[in-house]
Amino acid sequence: MTGRPLSDFTVELDVYSGPYEWLLALILREELDIFEVPLRELVRLYLSSRDPRSPQALRLDTEFVGSASALVLLKSRTLLPAPGDGDAPEDEPASPEELAERLGAYLRIRRAAEVLRGRLEANASCHPSAHQPPPRPGRTRIDRRRLLLSARRIFSRLEEPPVEHLGPITVTVQELAALIQASLSRGPVSYEELTRGMDRLRSAVTFAAALSLAHEGSLRLRQPEPLGPLTLEPLP
Amino acid sequence: MRPAHLVEAVLFSSARPVSRKTLASSTGLSADEVESALSELAERYSPERSGVVLRQVAGGYQLATNPSCAAAVERFRGEARPAPLSAAAHEVLACVLYLGPLTRGAISRVRGVNSDAVVRNLIERGLLAEKGPSGEGQAALLDVTEEFLISTGASSREDFPPLESLVREEELERVRERVLGREGEGR
Repeated sequence: MTGRPLSDFTVELDVYSGPYEWLLALILREELDIFEVPLRELVRLYLSSRDPRSPQALRLDTEFVGSASALVLLKSRTLLPAPGDGDAPEDEPASPEELAERLGAYLRIRRAAEVLRGRLEANASCHPSAHQPPPRPGRTRIDRRRLLLSARRIFSRLEEPPVEHLGPITVTVQELAALIQASLSRGPVSYEELTRGMDRLRSAVTFAAALSLAHEGSLRLRQPEPLGPLTLEPLP
Repeated sequence: MRPAHLVEAVLFSSARPVSRKTLASSTGLSADEVESALSELAERYSPERSGVVLRQVAGGYQLATNPSCAAAVERFRGEARPAPLSAAAHEVLACVLYLGPLTRGAISRVRGVNSDAVVRNLIERGLLAEKGPSGEGQAALLDVTEEFLISTGASSREDFPPLESLVREEELERVRERVLGREGEGR
């Protein structure tokens, strides 16, 4: 039994195609609008994909019902006007005459929406003749908000990392290079042996010294596998 | 070079609709010559005679492929059309087109449901745009864009049928009867 029961359930919707878990994550991160997710279709997909004979069927069903219920709740909340909106509708119930008026206005909008759908469909198959030219100088539309954000990114400097926790540096690469060369005079030496008893700072500087010596051709570094033992070998 | 050739060349090189004024200034032709050239091109690029058509959209003119050739063009380009808009999106566009510019709240009031998410999607698709605040410190007003006019094949707002003509008076009367009748029954 896996820790993520619905990890194998994938969905194919107009607005999204992929694992169900990712769909939930995208909705929660508001990168996908719950309003555009057909929940009935989602349930149908789950029912068509479930295996009632599976020993995990009950656990999967429970998990799905739990998450799908949350989506229903979320979507129903989305459908309500946002509280605190300056343009929020008045609290007083509308009179029957007002209600009839509103319904009439809405009916007109519904009809207009049908007209628009027809026009959009009819014109979707027209493709313009040329590429989109760049805006002419002086006609470039600048989004002040995006410009400000970009400027902040460009002009802001990364904070210097704090170094208070580091003690005073009392050793130099040259000193440790001399130590390495003295050890190599007796033959190959492992980095572990070389740095035994050293603190972290001296170990790091020893490594830097070894790299420097290898770069100038004074020794060879041998490491048979990544993160494996490192051996320093003298060059003839 | 004949005026029609000049106008044709400018239109061919532009992906966006070009106004009569811009056609005149870029070709050096007079307004009458531009008009005459457009008439000639409209005949030459009619849907019955050509795979390319002259469209009058968003206050200008545009050369585009004939809709009847769309399947071949789309196969060639290998591009899928954008996903069709939802019914909610069509309603929001209708609200803004006929009643706009409107705030998000006003759109939600007309539709009776929160429409913010749909509005966001339409702004991303370039069909709606914010046109500044409705007043100092007030919510932004939304309006349809040039892209909307192009997508609907409209030259301007006036190209759409009047809102009042879309619903017959008898239908509105039936709505009133239902609401007021039910209210009367409930009393």
